[in-house]
Amino acid sequence: MLAAFSSVILFAGFFAPYDFAAQDRDTPFAPPTTLHFVDAGGSLHIRPFVYDPRDSASTSPNAEAASEQTYPLHWFVRGTSYKIAGLIPSRTHLFGVEKPARIFLMGSDAYGRDQFSRFLYGGQISLLAGLIAAILSVSLGILVGGIAGYYGGWLDGILMRGGELFLALPWLYLLFAVRAALPLHISQWQVFLLLISVMGLIGWARPARLIRGVALSAKERNFVLAARGFGASDAYLLRRHVLPQTYAVLLTQITLLVPQYVLAEVTLTFLGLGVGEPMPSWGALLTSLQQYSVLSSYWWMFLPALLLIPLFVVFYAAADALQELHKSVPL
Amino acid sequence: MKRETLQSDSKRFEPLLRVSGLCKQYVQRRPFSRQKIVVNAFQDVSLNLFPGTTLALVGESGAGKSSLARCIALLERPSAGKIELAGENLLVLDREQLFPLRREIQMIFQDPSSALNPRFTACEIIAEPLLIQREGTNSQRRARALQLMEQVGLDPAWERKTPLEFSGGQRQRLAIARALALGPRLLILDEALSNLDAANQSLILKLLADLQAARSLSFLHISHDLRLVSEFADDVAVMYQGRIVEAKSTRKLFASPENPYTKELLASVRSVESILLERSA
Amino acid sequence: MRYLARRVLHSVLLLLGVSIFSFTILQLAPGDFFTPLSLNPQISAHTVATLRSQYGLDKPFPIRYEHWLHSVFRGDLGVSFAYGTPVAPLLAVRARNTLLLTGTSLLLAWLLAIPFGIWSAARRGKLSDRAGGIITSSLLTIPDLVLFLTLLLVAVRTGWFPTGGMMSAGFDDLSIGGKVQDLAAHLFLPVVGLVLATLPPLVRHIRSAMIEVLDSPFIRAARAHGIPEHRVLFRYALPVAANPLITLFGYSIAGMLSASLLVEVVLSWPGVGPLLVDAILAKDVYVVVGAVMLSAVFLVAGNLVADALLFATDPRIRTEQVN
Repeated sequence: MLAAFSSVILFAGFFAPYDFAAQDRDTPFAPPTTLHFVDAGGSLHIRPFVYDPRDSASTSPNAEAASEQTYPLHWFVRGTSYKIAGLIPSRTHLFGVEKPARIFLMGSDAYGRDQFSRFLYGGQISLLAGLIAAILSVSLGILVGGIAGYYGGWLDGILMRGGELFLALPWLYLLFAVRAALPLHISQWQVFLLLISVMGLIGWARPARLIRGVALSAKERNFVLAARGFGASDAYLLRRHVLPQTYAVLLTQITLLVPQYVLAEVTLTFLGLGVGEPMPSWGALLTSLQQYSVLSSYWWMFLPALLLIPLFVVFYAAADALQELHKSVPL
Repeated sequence: MKRETLQSDSKRFEPLLRVSGLCKQYVQRRPFSRQKIVVNAFQDVSLNLFPGTTLALVGESGAGKSSLARCIALLERPSAGKIELAGENLLVLDREQLFPLRREIQMIFQDPSSALNPRFTACEIIAEPLLIQREGTNSQRRARALQLMEQVGLDPAWERKTPLEFSGGQRQRLAIARALALGPRLLILDEALSNLDAANQSLILKLLADLQAARSLSFLHISHDLRLVSEFADDVAVMYQGRIVEAKSTRKLFASPENPYTKELLASVRSVESILLERSA
Repeated sequence: MRYLARRVLHSVLLLLGVSIFSFTILQLAPGDFFTPLSLNPQISAHTVATLRSQYGLDKPFPIRYEHWLHSVFRGDLGVSFAYGTPVAPLLAVRARNTLLLTGTSLLLAWLLAIPFGIWSAARRGKLSDRAGGIITSSLLTIPDLVLFLTLLLVAVRTGWFPTGGMMSAGFDDLSIGGKVQDLAAHLFLPVVGLVLATLPPLVRHIRSAMIEVLDSPFIRAARAHGIPEHRVLFRYALPVAANPLITLFGYSIAGMLSASLLVEVVLSWPGVGPLLVDAILAKDVYVVVGAVMLSAVFLVAGNLVADALLFATDPRIRTEQVN
């Protein structure tokens, strides 16, 4: 399931009918477009179609359009250009409608931007951020934890005390403090990279502690002793005997950390401290919800928040499954 | 299988291994206090091991014997004393000088399951010492590993199996094959038979005896089982509370023990046989 | 006593480390509070420079840290550039509000978690435990942000609760009873949010701690002696489980503080959270450092209390000294 989800995100450009930045100021806060199968004349169409909301005579933005002009839904349309995974240019989108009609599966925001597209693109950003940051943290954790556990002694003491420092503080405060250090007016990509690095650098303590435990017990095993008897160097022992024992722990740690970090990125962006406009991180999608007017009138803006829940359910389910799997492997 | 000890001919044969005055202490410090607690693992240990013979080290269960074994195997550093292999003091050498000499002394552990990395294949396990000592190419190492498997009585077709797929006795054979890979002159067996059932014990003992005869190996065999010791050892050293209290040839020890502790040990062994004798009478 | 002294020393060192850390981090950033000003062509560079030196921003880092450290001991936490007032009183008010929120939520969360956790542990495996487990897991997977936004939505759509702030306009005119009521109305949603966010992991840990104790041999012996189950639970199992639970309490404070930051911003509760966020956006250095230090102090204090409780209740910790 996770694979299906991620492939959708990866090919967000394909699935999304519109570019995330394309604004349509004529249709601010449009409700989600309803797909129709039966037109005003009563005849059934095989292809679903939409109405242009602007055709309605009423000026209320929530009015349902009832007009003659139908705009059928096309598959594999040519739309605005984008790049698959940032590399391969393409112009094919999964679905779309002809201008001037619009298809907003999740409605549009204050600038008339399609929320659905933004959700998909936002997925790219938020998930990627979470993934990279998690990998970073775990890598640091291996380094520090492996060294601390293997060498022990005062080195271990210092490293673990340092780790305690990071663990002891409320992580959100820590994240903010570090974020505060970063300049606010730099290019989007730099912000993205910095954000990931910061998150990754803060979270090394917990994986390090676990890995240290594994390293500590592994180095006492007799086969390590035996290898030492053959004259093995520390580097060899770490590489071939100690570290492989940590793989199981690493994997579970990553699957646990990724959702945490995704959430961290979303939270930061939500508060305005993350990636900036117009990058559609999921947090940015949720920012407007802080405004009273939005919450009271435009219910569809809440959809991204709701959609996040199943995503996290999937994440945690995957993490649990992995834990069960690795428990059954004999040590 | 008993053999006459060669000790009487000491002019012809020099000891392969000479341990003199070896001591090991563990120091514990209470946190935040100046107090140090000194624990002696063993003190003033002196042993002589002659080529092609087996020296048994017996004593009560405790860290003393294993600690001594690890020091002689160069896996731990003793606090004082000398370990001389063929006349050369190993404790004064630095890491680089010691590296080639590690081939000479190898250790077999009590529990083969913990001594073999469960993720390695049999071939990898046996070839590992060769790899660490940088000998030969991959294929040469593999060939040698298969050869060794045959010599210890394992089917070379099992080279890709992991240790978990072997039985206990077979795992010890694997460990022995690994220990032999570098062609050592001295093997230290730390209670290597204790985890095996009686049938396996005799099989492994037979294997060890054959290997000893074929390659003129010396064994330092640590055991708490005096019955076994009487079967395979040429010389015996008795350890009590970290010191060697008596050391002589097996025959002499069993015939006329001097030290009270030795006498106790022997008495407990005999009692089983005498009980059986009484019951059958 | 030595144990406690060690813990206090440890905490002080920790706080010192945190202060150095946050101070350093902030200084690493290029530019400062006055940078946007300097970009404005209407303000002369001279003015900016004067402002900078007035606030001591032109001195090198170690000196500034030293100054700051000295003033902290005198109770002065520096000056907020954005508000133009000293940091300490600013933080004090906000801190009080955050404490109110966090304290209430912590109390409530634990009051709910303990019975629920014990009850689940006692009925392990049965349907009621499984159902409880499902509820807990579902709550766990909902991201805090989503949870708080939902609460906000509820507030807006139903109009039953005020949507922000701590007091209504005209608070001072209310009677004591009225004031309490008003405060409670405003507190309600944030507290619900915090409790819901922090409850699931608490319940889980309490449950597993109790289960671990209930599985130990001495409990089995007690049951075999015919001691009624509720006595076993409360007089035998719970005291033993108290040790990990008290440690858990210390950790839960950290989690609570983190979550409170978010709640305060989303539900507009005037605590340290929104202050911190604004200060970061404005690069109001001393406010940021002050706020981070404050949260660290809360955390450390909470953990010290937990340590003291441990010392008082667990004889094993006391006997560590005697040897």
